[in-house]
Amino acid sequence: MGGTTSQLPKDLLSEYQELTFLTKQEILLAHKRFSDFTREGRNSPSPRVPMEKILTLPELKSNPFRERICQVFSTSDVKDGSLTFEDFLDLLSAFSDSATLEIKSHYAFRIFDFDDDGTLDGGDLEKLVNCLTGDTDDTRLTQEEMRQLISNILEESDIDKDGTVNLSEFQHVISRSPDFVSSFKIVL
Amino acid sequence: MELTGLNRTDSATAGQGYYSAGQSLRLRRLSSRVSNQNATPHFDWGSSREGGEDGNEEEPQNVRELPMPFGLRKAVRQVQQMRIPVASRRMRQSRALKRFSAEAKNALALVTLWRRAIHQIGGHFGGGVQSYFVFLRFLVVLNFLSFLLIAAFVLIPGIVFHSLDLSSSVPQLPNSTNITGKEECMVYDPNPGALTVFYTYFLDLLSGTGFMEYSYMFYGYYNNTLVVANGFSYNIPLAYLLTASFYFIFCFICIIVRMGGVARVAVTTGGGAARSYSMMVFTGWDYGLQGDRATKLKKNNIRYQLQVDLEEERIKLKTQSQTLLQTVGLYSLRAFLNLVVIGLIIGAFFGITLATRYSQETDKTQNGILDLLLEYLPSIVITASNFVVPFLCDQIALLEKHSPSTTIILALLRAVFLRLVSLGVLLATLWLNITCNSKPDECIPCGYNYGQYQCWETRVGQEMYRLALFDFLTTIAVLILVEFPRRMVVDNCSWKLIKWVGRQEFLVPPNVLGLVYAQTVVWTGTLFCPLLPLVNTIKLIIIFYCKKVTLFHNCRPATKTFRSTSSNIVFFLVLMFGWILATTVLIYSIAELHPSFGCGPFRFSSTMWSTIPNSFQGLSNTTQEFLRYVGSQAFSIPLFIFSCVLLCYVAAVASVYGKSVALLRTQLQLEGRDKQFLVKQIEELTQKLGIPKHDRDPMVLSHGGAPWEQQQDGHS
Repeated sequence: MGGTTSQLPKDLLSEYQELTFLTKQEILLAHKRFSDFTREGRNSPSPRVPMEKILTLPELKSNPFRERICQVFSTSDVKDGSLTFEDFLDLLSAFSDSATLEIKSHYAFRIFDFDDDGTLDGGDLEKLVNCLTGDTDDTRLTQEEMRQLISNILEESDIDKDGTVNLSEFQHVISRSPDFVSSFKIVL
Repeated sequence: MELTGLNRTDSATAGQGYYSAGQSLRLRRLSSRVSNQNATPHFDWGSSREGGEDGNEEEPQNVRELPMPFGLRKAVRQVQQMRIPVASRRMRQSRALKRFSAEAKNALALVTLWRRAIHQIGGHFGGGVQSYFVFLRFLVVLNFLSFLLIAAFVLIPGIVFHSLDLSSSVPQLPNSTNITGKEECMVYDPNPGALTVFYTYFLDLLSGTGFMEYSYMFYGYYNNTLVVANGFSYNIPLAYLLTASFYFIFCFICIIVRMGGVARVAVTTGGGAARSYSMMVFTGWDYGLQGDRATKLKKNNIRYQLQVDLEEERIKLKTQSQTLLQTVGLYSLRAFLNLVVIGLIIGAFFGITLATRYSQETDKTQNGILDLLLEYLPSIVITASNFVVPFLCDQIALLEKHSPSTTIILALLRAVFLRLVSLGVLLATLWLNITCNSKPDECIPCGYNYGQYQCWETRVGQEMYRLALFDFLTTIAVLILVEFPRRMVVDNCSWKLIKWVGRQEFLVPPNVLGLVYAQTVVWTGTLFCPLLPLVNTIKLIIIFYCKKVTLFHNCRPATKTFRSTSSNIVFFLVLMFGWILATTVLIYSIAELHPSFGCGPFRFSSTMWSTIPNSFQGLSNTTQEFLRYVGSQAFSIPLFIFSCVLLCYVAAVASVYGKSVALLRTQLQLEGRDKQFLVKQIEELTQKLGIPKHDRDPMVLSHGGAPWEQQQDGHS
């Protein structure tokens, strides 16, 4: 991996185009931005960029879910949130313009599932609300408000009344929202 | 082959997350039997392919839609490709088609106007503000295409025929007109003026009089020519009329197509509970926002919304029972306030009527600023009422104590009503003047009010031109005189009151209404001022850049969330109202009013419409027969009945879908209850059979399927 600007070979580019929702321009732009991170360490053919560097991207820097996003799309064995270029493309593909509602809702569910147990229970919902409102003491909801909010959410979306929101219930709520697809977007 | 194993139903196995390298191996062993209860969305590696080309065309799309990491998707695609012995022709074609459409979409994205700017706006201010700029872009493209249409069929032939001097100096008469005794009506002296002071050119540019009056800008310059040369015939009056009609139909089709796309989204989502908590929490965040300031404000916004809603719910629970006296009091207050609003609106209409009449009737003798003000008087009154009345309505709405969403809709409807109907009042006043409703004997010689208007179409065109221009000047003036100073005051002055008022907020509904009003003015005026779409295109482009500048420099993000999708429909609906108003005006002018004798392409016709029957004679016999048949009752009544039947069918299908959705929803609930029942039974059974505790963890049981399947999973 010699030169300063490594070009994407054409067959790789078409493969990426077929396997993700990104257009050619978007893939090339992603490659350019990703190479900025890997410029220092050109040791392995598919370098893995640590989470801290990914979080310096302006599109992710202020997102309250940035760490969860990195962890969800990361395929590393040690669960440190580091991303290869293909993981990065996965991320951008799920957040792209042409991704389907199913893909977006699937990944949204995984992002909100803070303890990775496959359902959104009370603890997950509380962490989610704290991310949305701000996590400092003066921006959090009070205990009472949080309790009321979580019970309202569970009442609305927990159809089978097991105390947690699973993936299908989540997707059912999302499908009723007309703005979700347009707000669940990150474009470089 | 079906991707039967592809189930995204239930949750993952406990504690392991969704995917790891080890798990992908395990996935290979699973057969499709256990698919339903099993956790991870997996791909059915082991199933056999059942011929059939119908599955194949879906393959490339489906690989993208698998929610798996990249490496797994690549492996899936390789397996798929290995399975296909021969790429069938249909598959090759579909793949080529998909590649072509992807390239076409790429190319289109490059050509889209202002793509980067709008994306930047969306990133900093959210989807609501972005929808305003997208709407603005739509109007720019619409106006530009309309201008091209008009230029091709009316403007360029007019220029060509004028310069080639093909138009005879004596206007041609259709055979059946009688113009004896009407010579005085044919005098039209637009007064181009020989030597005038320089600044009058500027005043003329603003008011459409003087050198602009007798130019391609207005109706009066086009001639009533029928050019026949070398076997090529071009009938300017017919072209003028047909172009105007086609322009309206073209705009209508564009709006319907755009609205259809937006409405489809709204109907499929069913317009569900707008304020549901789960919706707010799950879909509330806008991932396109960048920057600390924007995200902090969004977080404040979300917290504010949640707290307000929770508070409202608590209050509602407390005051469940309102006394009858209070309810009656509230409703009578609302009725009274509605009457006040109606009174304000009628007052505004009255003011507009007076101003228009005064402006049209007073003689403009001295050229100067005073004349300019007099000519702009109707525009000034309309714009003033458009500022004052909605402001008062907003204050009144605070007293009415509706829920916030109802308040917004009411405010929008009132403002729409005020704006469009005030335009209608202006036009009605002009029309009454032209057809001299109050003094009938003035109209007898010429069929219209010749004393005031030598060429009434040009006057109407000028009035529309002035409205459009004044609207533009007001927007720019507000920007320069209100928004920039406000920001400077807020940033540099540290009084608490000023800080509380804060920076300007970019309110989307009033801005969109401004766009709709301007577009309605353009539609109404195009028949009399053919270059008005071009004026509007230039005006909208300048407004885009000015609004962008003021947005980034002076405004703060909205504190109230603005639902972009449902409001998009409202914008297009309001645009349709404007279109309907303009169409009414068009039909009335074409069918009823007598064109001027002294100017324009329709002199000597009794109405503008009569050009069409006259040129009808010129068509061949078969065409005439065909057109007569199409217009007759034998054709139109069956067509009408057929469209009614189609409408009933579509409505029936839609209601059946709605019912099946409700049915499926109840079925989902029942299945949930069944699952709970079964889980309880399993717990009781395992208790009875004495199975050790760690194997009957209820989490695993309820989400991972039956325990024996779980163990098989672990042992394979």
